[in-house]
Amino acid sequence: MASRGAIPILRQYGRRTLTQSLADPASIPGAPAPTDRRTARLNRLRAGDALFRRMTRAAALGVLLLLGGVIVSLLVGSTPAFLAFGPGFVTAEVWNPVTDQFGALAPIHGTLVTSAIAMLIAVPIGIMIAFFLTELCPMALRRPIGMAIELLAGVPSIIYGIWGLFVFAPFLQKYVQPLIIATFENVPLLSDLFAGPPYGIGVLTAGLILAIMVLPFVTAISRDVFDSVPPVMKEAAYGLGCTRWEVFRSVILPYTRVGVIGGVMLGLGRALGETMAVTFVIGNAHRISASVLAPGTTISASIANEFTEAVGDIYTSSLIALGLILFAITFAVLSAARLMLARLDRGKS
Amino acid sequence: MSASVQNVQIQLDAPVPAGEAPEILEEKISIRNLEFFYGDSRALKKIDLPLYSRKVTAFIGPSGCGKSTLLRVLNRMYDLYPGQRATGEVMLDGENLLSPSVDINLLRARVGMVFQKPTPFPMSIYENVAFGIRLYEDLPKNEIDARVESALRRAALWDEVKDKLGAAGQALSGGQQQRLCIARTVAVRPEVILFDEPCSALDPISTAKIEELIDELKRDYTIVIVTHNMQQAARVSDFTTFMYLGEVVEFGPTGTMFTAPTDRRTQDYITGRFG
Amino acid sequence: MTGTDQLANPALYRRRARRNRLAVALAYAATAFGVGWIAVILAVLLYKGIGGLSLAVFTEMTPPPGAAGGLLNAIAGSAVMTLLAVLIGTPVGVLAGTYLSEFGKHDRVSAIVRFVNDILLSAPSVVVGLFVYEIMVAPMGHFSGYAGAVALAVIVIPVVVRTTEDMLNLVPDTMREAAASIGLPRSHMIVHIAYRAARAGIVTGILLAVARVSGETAPLLFTALNNQFWSMNMNGPMPSLPVVIFQFALSPFAEWQKLAWTGALIITVTVLGLSVLARSLTHRR
Repeated sequence: MASRGAIPILRQYGRRTLTQSLADPASIPGAPAPTDRRTARLNRLRAGDALFRRMTRAAALGVLLLLGGVIVSLLVGSTPAFLAFGPGFVTAEVWNPVTDQFGALAPIHGTLVTSAIAMLIAVPIGIMIAFFLTELCPMALRRPIGMAIELLAGVPSIIYGIWGLFVFAPFLQKYVQPLIIATFENVPLLSDLFAGPPYGIGVLTAGLILAIMVLPFVTAISRDVFDSVPPVMKEAAYGLGCTRWEVFRSVILPYTRVGVIGGVMLGLGRALGETMAVTFVIGNAHRISASVLAPGTTISASIANEFTEAVGDIYTSSLIALGLILFAITFAVLSAARLMLARLDRGKS
Repeated sequence: MSASVQNVQIQLDAPVPAGEAPEILEEKISIRNLEFFYGDSRALKKIDLPLYSRKVTAFIGPSGCGKSTLLRVLNRMYDLYPGQRATGEVMLDGENLLSPSVDINLLRARVGMVFQKPTPFPMSIYENVAFGIRLYEDLPKNEIDARVESALRRAALWDEVKDKLGAAGQALSGGQQQRLCIARTVAVRPEVILFDEPCSALDPISTAKIEELIDELKRDYTIVIVTHNMQQAARVSDFTTFMYLGEVVEFGPTGTMFTAPTDRRTQDYITGRFG
Repeated sequence: MTGTDQLANPALYRRRARRNRLAVALAYAATAFGVGWIAVILAVLLYKGIGGLSLAVFTEMTPPPGAAGGLLNAIAGSAVMTLLAVLIGTPVGVLAGTYLSEFGKHDRVSAIVRFVNDILLSAPSVVVGLFVYEIMVAPMGHFSGYAGAVALAVIVIPVVVRTTEDMLNLVPDTMREAAASIGLPRSHMIVHIAYRAARAGIVTGILLAVARVSGETAPLLFTALNNQFWSMNMNGPMPSLPVVIFQFALSPFAEWQKLAWTGALIITVTVLGLSVLARSLTHRR
């Protein structure tokens, strides 16, 4: 090899002075300060480094501990209820503090129904807004509208609650609900679903408010994943003569399906756990009605309403058991959402 | 620079003229049988190379030949990233710097590095330079001031910034930022300075200034420079290493390398037939 | 424009164009709907809340039913608990985020922590309240401002972890290498260089966390509870703005309801202000 030829010639000149320069660091101009002082300082730095690393690791593990703590405390707190009622707790509709008989079915039912109503409304609208923001909106309006939607996500839930109770529910009671009841009065099945009287508050109202609250989440995530579609893909479709809607339908949506579903699940996680807004408007009735216009309750609303007033271990424990069930449901939904969004991230990079 | 190359030439083929001390090349760093891996793929193969004290050695070669990788072994920058490892020996003053017992921070204080893009820290000009000094030495304020000034002077930046030492380092021009990074490196008093394509992001005037500076600095430091610009290698270096596909193809005095390369591949590269 | 008559199937083309127009119209409508809500909510809030806005709101205590008063003790309680929550949550969150970005970027622990943190980020806050009730209120035997602050801190931590990690990831590796190249130990590099470079982003994360926390009601209901009087004793029940709004809004008294609206306006303005401020901080960079 050529390099072997070149080096030895020069090596003759390269007289070894390694020991010399090692023994005499001062031979380098402006050489480092005396070595022992430097060593002491280095050891200190190294110890600080290790300490810092350990602190960050401890904090990171603390996050795990937090989740573990939540799970353990809920398990411990709910044990008396599960011991008293067994697995039947989940399927019993009774909720009677006087006789100390509790079952979780009504709150679970309310939670699922209100969330379903919310998603049914928020998902299509959120996706259409995201379609508007990424494909139709003039550049100048993109930021302000996007920001307005994000601000909607930042409004605390108690604000939605107070607004829902004093403004939205009376409005529904006066104008919308009578109309719905009258319209479906003679339609089989739907007449049960929308059976009167118009209370204003109730399951439907809670679902609608949840829809408004979840809308920004669905919109923001959908917009982000739509933005991630490579422009070439879209241009290729436009190049074929596709309309905007066709590009969206046939290129953007299929390309981002996993991400959109992840975003929807994230929104669902919010809706399931949302407390204050629902507590204000759902009516807090532990029963399952066929009609969505009737008052009901959700897991989180039950806890918020009754926890501080709960007397007796079984009552308190039953409420904590509700919390455990809620946490299990949201955990499953959020895990699925995160796994889907993570898969999307990996696919992109 | 041409003077030193001539010295070597003189030594090569003529007895040293009387009255002039012979120039003895000290091997500051000796690379022996070095191999480098990114995960499973081998990026450097059996590298043997001396780096001489107070000389400028240039690494040249086409993109991906391993010249930057080799440079980053010399201060173990690769340690920041998992999955990268080196085998063999890299002796710095007789100490193997690849050994796990080497204190990596001390090593880097001794072997400084200047990067492709200027990397001023997000702080004032003064702090950028003083930061590294304070790390290893407890000095009174006036001594630090003096050190900062001398480092900035060495980097030929003092006159341009002496009135705005409190300004943000990032507010300087690209060329000034690069000289600030050189000052920052010099301030820690290293023995070796590594330059990783230091001028590739700079305009010709700034480039000329940096090259001048390198020529100045080699009086006191061992300098290694990676460059893809062959004219630059010819202008600033005393020795040149041509690398190709992770191997050292040829090493020798820059003058010889550019006028009479022994390997065909070196010749092809230098004359622009590939790369 | 070419006429449709040159097309092989003009009817199909017209159908496609019609469908496109419909979809576009729906998209406009959906956006108007979405933006409409924020306008409606803010308008109602202003209309209902601004009437009650007076100096007394900020200088007087929450009144008994039927009397006039303000929200001073509730605002102070919220401020104190939020401050303590940020003081607890920020160091933990920043350190954990640092681990994820700087030390354990690719290790398994980090992958799990990242996942768990994302779950905590959107976990129901009422559950957080139950958790802190179990670990603090029940053992101590009484509600307290400390418990409220801890509950809020549990909500602050995941937000700060996430933004810290994201912002540190934006610091270019060349900056880390440059720091390493002058012999800076890792911890110095992170504290003096990376934190400084990511400062605006980390502050944004903290502001967002404060915004999130200042409207939280559910976790305070059974930790800090409430207190009708001035209380800076964090070892006892403490009032907070959201809980007072909750209580007053659901009461039958007109004065209380009015104060609830005013409180809602104050919270909303605070939260939106913080979010806008946080966003402008990162956008300026």
